[in-house]
This record gives sequence, structure tokens and C-alpha cells, in this order.
Amino acid sequence: MNPLTYEKATSSTDALERHDGDAAKFLGAGTNLVDLMREGIATPTRLIDVTGLAQSIEEQSDGGLRIGAGVSNTAVAEDATVRAQYPALSRAILAGASAQIRNMATVGGNILQRTRCSYFYDVAGSRCNKRSPGEGCDAIGGFNRAHGILGVSDSCIATHPSDMAVALSLYDAVINVESDEGTRSIPINDFYVLPEDTPDIENQLNPGELIVSVDLPAPSANRRATYRKVRDRASYAFALVSVAGSLIIKDGLVVDAGISLGGVAPKPWRAIEAEAAIVGSPPTEETFRNAAQIALADATTQPGNVFKTELAQRVIVAVLQDLAGDAQ
Amino acid sequence: MNKPFFSQQIAFELNTQPARADATPGQRLSELLRENLGARDVKIGCDAGDCGACTVLLDGQPVCACLTAAHQVEGRSVETLAGLYRAEEKAKRLADSFQNHGAAQCGICTPGMMVSAIALLRNNDAPTEDEVKDALGGVLCRCTGYRKIIDAVVGAPAIAHDGDGSVGTSIRRLDGQCKVDGTEAFGDDVAPVGCLEIFVIRSPFARASFTFENLASFADATGVEAVLTADDIAGRNIFGVIPQFMDQPVFAEAETRFRGEAVAAVVATSEFMSTFDPRSFPVTWTEMPATQNIHDAQKDGAVQLHHGRDGNVMCGGFVTCGDAQAGLSAASKTVEGHFKSGFVEHGYIEPEAGFAQIVNGRVEVHACTQAPVMDLDSLQIILGLDRSQIRIVPTAVGGGFGSKLDISVQPYLALAALKTGKPVRICYSRTESMQSSTKRHPSDIRLKIGADAEGRITGFDFYGEFDTGAYASWGPTVANRVPVHASGPYAISNYRAESKGIHTHNPPAGAFRGFGVPQSAIAQESLFDDLARKLGIDPLEFRIINALEDGVPTVCGQVFDQGVGITACLKALRPAWQSETAAAKAFNETSTTIKRGVGIAAGWYGCGNTSLPNPSTIKSGVRPDGRVVLYQGAMDIGQGANTVITQIFATALGVPADSISRIGADTDVTPDAGKTSASRQTYVSGNAARLSGEALRRLILERMNVARDAELTFGDGEIVATDAEGEHRFDLSKLACDDERLVLRAEETYDPPTRPLDENGQGAPYAQFGYAAHLVVVDVDTAMGTVKPTKFVAAHDVGRAINPMMVEGQVHGGIAQGLGMALMEEYVPGRTENLHDYLIPTIGDIPPIETIIIEEPDAHGPYGAKGLGEHVLIPTAPAILNAINAATGVRITRVPATPSLVRTEIRKAQR
Repeated sequence: MNPLTYEKATSSTDALERHDGDAAKFLGAGTNLVDLMREGIATPTRLIDVTGLAQSIEEQSDGGLRIGAGVSNTAVAEDATVRAQYPALSRAILAGASAQIRNMATVGGNILQRTRCSYFYDVAGSRCNKRSPGEGCDAIGGFNRAHGILGVSDSCIATHPSDMAVALSLYDAVINVESDEGTRSIPINDFYVLPEDTPDIENQLNPGELIVSVDLPAPSANRRATYRKVRDRASYAFALVSVAGSLIIKDGLVVDAGISLGGVAPKPWRAIEAEAAIVGSPPTEETFRNAAQIALADATTQPGNVFKTELAQRVIVAVLQDLAGDAQ
Repeated sequence: MNKPFFSQQIAFELNTQPARADATPGQRLSELLRENLGARDVKIGCDAGDCGACTVLLDGQPVCACLTAAHQVEGRSVETLAGLYRAEEKAKRLADSFQNHGAAQCGICTPGMMVSAIALLRNNDAPTEDEVKDALGGVLCRCTGYRKIIDAVVGAPAIAHDGDGSVGTSIRRLDGQCKVDGTEAFGDDVAPVGCLEIFVIRSPFARASFTFENLASFADATGVEAVLTADDIAGRNIFGVIPQFMDQPVFAEAETRFRGEAVAAVVATSEFMSTFDPRSFPVTWTEMPATQNIHDAQKDGAVQLHHGRDGNVMCGGFVTCGDAQAGLSAASKTVEGHFKSGFVEHGYIEPEAGFAQIVNGRVEVHACTQAPVMDLDSLQIILGLDRSQIRIVPTAVGGGFGSKLDISVQPYLALAALKTGKPVRICYSRTESMQSSTKRHPSDIRLKIGADAEGRITGFDFYGEFDTGAYASWGPTVANRVPVHASGPYAISNYRAESKGIHTHNPPAGAFRGFGVPQSAIAQESLFDDLARKLGIDPLEFRIINALEDGVPTVCGQVFDQGVGITACLKALRPAWQSETAAAKAFNETSTTIKRGVGIAAGWYGCGNTSLPNPSTIKSGVRPDGRVVLYQGAMDIGQGANTVITQIFATALGVPADSISRIGADTDVTPDAGKTSASRQTYVSGNAARLSGEALRRLILERMNVARDAELTFGDGEIVATDAEGEHRFDLSKLACDDERLVLRAEETYDPPTRPLDENGQGAPYAQFGYAAHLVVVDVDTAMGTVKPTKFVAAHDVGRAINPMMVEGQVHGGIAQGLGMALMEEYVPGRTENLHDYLIPTIGDIPPIETIIIEEPDAHGPYGAKGLGEHVLIPTAPAILNAINAATGVRITRVPATPSLVRTEIRKAQR
């Protein structure tokens, strides 16, 4: 058996050169990976530390913002431009984790964190297709209050736990990755893949590819955005349902709308059809209710999480009403 | 298989000094700091970033050391509480402030809290409450209810003041300094370097059969020091806290009865353990059908968990007086309900931990515990050793709340030390702790209550079933206590209450702050509100009408001619009740989505064992040099026994509390002061301390032949007594020293006067009850179902507040746990085995709490004091449910009232 080694990369190129196959893992702050290794879910033999790389937040010539993958969640949430121009991102991060975790967690690691499904973690006692493909899913028919209702499959109903990624999805962020073969950019809304019958595959990242930065497109004028999270306690719990929402209202009509849902799907769930249904309508409760219906029309619930459909609809309406109220 | 690794030396700055250590890849910084560098002021509560106890500053920023890979601190600065306390004035001031507010109870979260706070205070001299909540939001505390911590960080005026510590004064904790400077030693902090470690092999299934392959060849092949199974138990493979109900094996044989039950243990070096994969242990599991709810367990043909407990009924409890059915028939109005609650996890931040060694052929166990003498009793049976061959030395306890009354790590430690002859240590992982420790009993309660038109209760019929899990633990106590307490603190003349404990393949349910009474109080206090409203009577006045009074029999026929303080508690809430209900009404007139409600509930709790002997013994004496020594064996698990019992003793002796040298607990040294449970230490051990202090004083006065009111001072090898005739000196150097180096001594025992209960539950179960009433204001978001308590007013009759600051500390902590039970906590076996799936309240969840101390003295209590530890959470959950009802009209009958449940009930009501 190969020994477990640790090495610190000096640059992204260096990191990529060191990566020599599936057994190597890029190590960010480790807030998820260190835990997964303890549980025996992640079993790398080579840890390539990429913290300290990609540490900057830079405004781009097109008015957008490039956030290095190694920037801490705290630094993103506190960045003046982020707070002013991408408020839902700042709020999502602050709602996502405690100060201790935010200080450590990186943007790249946050995007790649794995589900908190308790069956996924229960190596000894539960079946999980994400952990052991083909084994079965004990969450289906089990204790599934926290599980997903959109984009789920017969083999996996786990949710993606990130708050930050929900806001990135709202802002149509683009993830820049590097590999031996060069660089490529993947819109976050295409980045994650649905479980279908291969829930072990969670995103488009290939082995040996490294997230180096995230681009936020230039902010739209008059766009209002926010993030709301419903959870069981006041702070630092994973979302039952969260919504990143945005509106641009002009002359009494919505000209642009954004809705991204967290806590309900294997990925940040952009409700594209619901957004389209709002555009061109007045920003009324009726409009928003209609959109919320559309957003959840395809929900597939379990006995334990049937409440999430209505809750998600209500959070959508509440968020959009808040935004519409602010706009008036 | 074990994975080899390459360790690499890293260099960094630890508390401003250069530090070097060999780190293995993926090793946690917390482990490196504690084990390689001896920084045991960094506490570990969860190893998953959920509790924040391990918070350190990395380049000045708070991070969880448990999630930081040690290699990542290369070249950086790490600061911990001990270093900060040594070097930084702000840290010292904060430590003082923590002490002056009672912001550290057990102290296990204190390093994380203080380190986080220091980072905040470095940049912000005068933080707001919200800033404190954000900075400290990642650190969990289970004892304090957080409000004292907020006060300490924002620098609110001190509560504790200097003084002699006589009864009735708020002094700082006498054992508090080590909790705020990083030197307190909990269960995992006491093992010497180089100890062997123990890893327990546990069932991954609720019910499973299992077989071991060749364990000897496993041991040979891997080089582990020892493998322990049931075969290694020289005594009996059984333990339990109630002699007639001992039923739990140390290691299961043939079949396990709950997920997390132990079947074997591996004893090996730390190097081996750091890479040990439990899946490599040679055990084969066969999952079997499990019964995981009380209804299935009682069905015909259900698997029987224990011989002689037919229908899986462990036992029951019963109390009746008058004629409940006749009373209900005669009622003007009746209400009934069906109430349910789930398992609740104690959630202390310190996992079970300790170390053991063989000293002069005897086995010594150093571990966290609430009951050292009971631990000794259990080990005597398991080890098959003479009592004299076992010593229990409790460490500081990082929270207990009932679960650390049962043994946990102790048998593994003792067995491993005896088998290997070497020092051994163990610390449960958070998951292991949650899987294997006892829980609050899930309840399924049906209750019907009737009252006449004037609002007097005419009949009360209660039936409750409790899931006691796989083993009895304290289940029989819960079954007994519930029928005695289910009436609440009220006069009810036609009463029937029956309870049953049912076995399932769930974790053992045992003692948890209130022993079943919080569950029954939810049913009773909820229906009291419903009944009052049905009768058109104000809910507070309805309770006052029915409140128990001096001279009025309880449902057990016990008559207290003094000391019944519930009416005073309820009346103390009147001003807040009137102003808050008016304010809520005004608020609701304009608010559509957010609805405000005010709820009240009351509670009572009998202190000490139910109709059973329950003695405590406290010894004291004087050393030749004039020092007064108190042998204090009552476990301080954060609640303050060390301080309160010393205050009582010092008052009785007539000296300042801080002049007393305290020793213990240690079964070789301190007499048995009983277990820390059932709100008994202030009352029972406090009385023993009072008697001991009085006896020592009497002895000294007699020997010196001075007046009874003489003032005593101790020191410099003499006692000086000053009375009306002047100063008298007693030269101690001429007295003979006994084998404990005492020249004067007094040992006294107190046992509460109780009488047995007859077949109808009539008798005198407790010598005293304590009383409580809570008021809470909540805002319910009717669209989302979220419930936000915004204010508590808590009135508690404590007889006499020995230390009012610590009384408040108990009240705050109890309310926090009651709030958790009401709104967010439910342990689902196998599913919520960590502190991110199992939620306990954070600093952001606890609103301001106003504590009203009522002092209705009790004739039996020391200086009139009553117990308090359990009372503080009993009214909280029903008060919150009543407030939700007031806000929304919805009656929640199941806890926790999560957003999903509340929203579902609101939707149902709207249809």
C-alpha cells in the first residue's frame, strides 16, 4: 500500500505537475477533506496543499470580479466590492458557517465540498451509491428530512451543502480550472452534474484539474439581490431550504429575475423557468407565487421531506417580495 | 489495513515561541498541539468543526484546530488560550470578566470561547451583542445558556464581588481560575505521554449477530498489545445503575441490542491507532431485524430484549388518589391530548475520556464522571476484584447532565490496564459518544384533565409510555418519577398516573436533567393552557387557583407544612405576563406574517432519590499548620458544587470560603457524597457539609472552652477564638496528627427523610421539592414556521440562594436546554450522531433571560436551600409551546417544534 504523503504546491503549475493520478488530492483548507479522510470516505495517498495559491480578488476590465480559489470565505464575505455589488454572495457565506470555518474555508474547497447525507458518512452501517456505486441508497425510505426534492434520482437523494455556491449560481459565476492540458472555464450552472445512476460523479472536474478562480460577471445596474436561509436553529446549521434571489424592476415590471435554491437538490438549483415566468410581469405576490409553483413543479419528495416543497415556494415568494419591496 | 505514512518536521510559532514537531500528513493541528506539544488547553469536542472548543488563532484569526491540517501551519503563528492568558492583558481582563459573570461553568468550551473573544476584542474594544454573537457563534456551550458569556465579553458590570463567601453571596467559582487560564484538566487531559490507547469495536447495526475470526492471530499479525472481549472479564459481564435492573454487558455476547454497542476493544500504541482502520478488525456482522419503536416492541411476537420483561416492559410507575374518572365526569370542561417527544442527546462538549494505570497492584481510573463511588461499585462487579483494589479519581467533568452517571470508558480502561499492566487512555469520538451514551427517554403520553367552572381541577388521568432503549440504565427511575411529578406543582385530589418503560433496539435511555419530568410537563402544562382558555380563565390565574400550597396534600398524599413556593413563583410572573401579553396583542394587530405569543408554564421537582436512602458524607478537619480542609466528594460537573458546598461549610464553621482547602473527589480520600444527580448536591451534600462545619466548630469551641458565638481565625499553627472575654489561642502543634494529617476532624452524614410509596403511590417520596415558573415571548414566522424566542422571565423558588450568580447560571443553562428540546433537538439513532446533524442551541438562539429568585425557605435544606439543577428546564419547553399556541392558535403536541412541523400544523389549521 502506498504511504500517505503531504506536499505544498508553490504554484498552480507546480500543483498540477505533482498531481499524478486518482490517489492524489488537492488539499484546500481541509474543512471537509480532513473530515472525510477521518471517516474513511476519502482515501488519498498524496495530499497536495494548494492553500496559499490564488489568493487575490481582482476587478476585471469588463467590470466583473475574479476571486482566487484560495481566497478564504471570510475574505470574500468582507470584500467591499462583493458586499456592494454581489450582496447575496456575502450573505450566503455569512449564513453558511461560523467565523472559525469561514476563516479557513476556501472558495475552491467550498464549491467542491461533498454532501452531508448521514448515510454517505455511515461507512460501516449504511448503503450509499455515492460512496460505493451500485450498493443502494438507504436514505430513500430512511430518515430523509434533510434530503433533496429536485434533480434527485432513484439512486441518490443527497443535497449539496454549500450556501456560497447557491449565490454563485444566482450570479452566473464561471469556474476557471487548470490542468496539464490547459485552462477551461465552466459556468457554475453547468459545473455540477445530477446524480442519475452515477451519484459518485458530482461535477465536471476531471482528475488532475484544479479550480484556480471563480469569475463573477459584471453586476447589472439596478439589480437587487439577497439570500435567505431557513434552518432549524439561529445559526450555523445546514439549510432546510435557502434561496438566493434577484430582481430588476423597471417601470413597474420585472425585467430580470434570478432564483437559485439551496438545500433541495444535488446542486445549487437555478429555477430558470420560474425566472422566465416573472420577467415582464408586475412584481406582485401573485407573480411570485406563480413562479414558485413553477420552480417546484417537478419536485419529487420523500415522506420525510415533503414539507420542503411548500417551504421552498414560501421562501421564494418571501425573498422576491422583500426585493420588490426594497425596490419601491 | 494500516497505511504507513511519512512524518515531516514542521516549524511554526506557538504562543510567540518557536515550535517544532513531527507532523503526519493529514494530521489535525489540534492533535499535534495536544499530543506532540502538550498544549492540552486546546480542547476537542467533536473533531468536525461543529463545536469550536478547539479554536486557536492562526495568524491572529480564529480557526478550528481540528480541521486544520497540521502541515498548513508551517511558518505561521498559532496562539492558544494558555499562551494568550500568559502574555496578553486583554486575555487576563477577559478571564477576570468570565469569572465575575460565571461565564465558565464546566469550562470545556471556555478556551474556544475566550480565544474567539480575544480575537474580537483585539480589533474592537467595545463590541456589540451582535458582534459577539457572530464572533462566538461557532463555539457551542451546553452549560451556560451563553448570556453570561455575552455579558463577560461586552464587559458588563461584574456580578460576583469580593467577600467572605458566606451563604447568600455571589462569589466567583472557587475552582474557576483553571477554567479561564487553560489549565483545567478534563478526562482526556490527564494521561501521561506514551500511554497505550483503546479503541472500542461497536455494532454498526441496531441489532446484529456477530462472530470473531481468530483474534489471537489478528493481535499477532498487527502487533497490538491486547484485544478485549467478554472473555476477558474476570467478574461479571454486566453493569447498571439500579441493582435490580442491572442488564447491560460491557461487551455484548452473540448479539447486539443497539447501534454502537461494544463487542470488543483494541489496545495499542498511539502510532498504531493513528492509522488503524476499524474495518480491518476481524468481526463479521449479520444485521438482524430490529424493533425501534415502542409500539412494535409491545406487539405479539415482538423480539423480547430481556428475559423476564414480558412484552418488553421494563417496569412501570403508578400513583393514584381520589377517583380520577369520577372527577373527570364531574368536570365542567375537559381537555385531552396525545403528546410525543423523541430522544434527546445530552450534548456535553467533553466526550467521555480518561486514563488508567496500575499502582502498587491496584487499578486507578482517572475519568470524567458524575458518580465516582457508583463507578467503583460497577468496576468491583465487572473486574471481580476486592473493592480495596480499585481507585476512582475523577477528572474535571466537561458537562454531564445525567449521562455521566452511568459508566462509559471506565471498564475498558480498567480491563486494559489490568491486562497489559501499562497505562492506557481512551477518548470517545463524538459519534461514539452519541451512539453509546444514554439519552432522554422518548415519550408517548395521553392525558385528560377536567376542571369545574371556577377553574379548579376535578380530575386528571395520565398514561405515558417511555422508550427506554436496549437497557434499563435509569429507566426505572424515570418510570417512578413521572407519575409522582406528572400533576405538576398543583393540588389535584382525583388523580391517576401510570407510566411504563418499554425496551427497544435503541440506545439506552437514562438520566437526563429532569428524569422524564420535562416530558410529562409538556403534556400537563400544555393542557393546562388549553383548559384555562376553554374555561375563559387567564392561564396564569388558572395556575394560581390550582397551585399547591403549604398544608395541602400532593398527589402522593404528602403534606408539606412549609416551603411550598409555587404560588410565589407564579405571582412573580404577573407583571411580565400582563405587560408582555398586552404588547404582543398590539404587535399582532399590525403584523401579518410574524405573530407574537407569550407563554407560561410551571414545574416542580423532588430533590434526591425517590423514597430511597440517599446519604451524603462530608469530612472536614484542621491541619497542624491551621489550614482548614474540606473533603468534598460531590462531583462538580460545572453546576458549582465545589463552590456552593464550600460556601455552606465555611458559613457553618464561621470562616471565609476562600480560606478553605478543598480536597477531592477521590474514592481513596473523600467519603461518599453520592452521585451528582436529581438536584441533590446543594441540598443533601450541602447539608452534610453544614453538619460537618457545625460539628468541627462545636469541637473547636469545646476544646477551647469559648463562647458559642466566638469568632474563629485559623493559621500559623493555631486557632484564635475571639469572644466577649477576648482572644483565646489554641496551639495546634501540640496535637497529635492522625493518618490524614489532621489534628481535628469532623465527618457527618445527611440522608433526606422520606417514606416509601405504597401500591397507590402514596407516601413521602421527597423531603423537599423545588418550584419554578417560566414566561417566554416568541415570534413565529407563520410563513416559514420558524420560532424565535425573544425573552424569558424565569421565577425559581430555591429556598435560599447560596450563590445567586450560580443560581442564575443554572437557570440560563436549563432554559437553553429546554429551548433546544422544544425547538430543535431530536436524536435519531444512526442518523444524527454528530453536532451538525444533531443541533443544540448556539449563542444566537438564546434571548435575554430575566431571573427572579424566590426564597421560600425549606426546613430541611441547608440554610433553607432547595435543589435547582433539574427544575430549570422543566417549564421551558411547555412555555414555548404555549407561546406558539398564543401566537398562532396552533397546539403543537410533538417536540421538537421544528420549522417543518410548525408550518405543517399552521397549514392544517388554515384548512
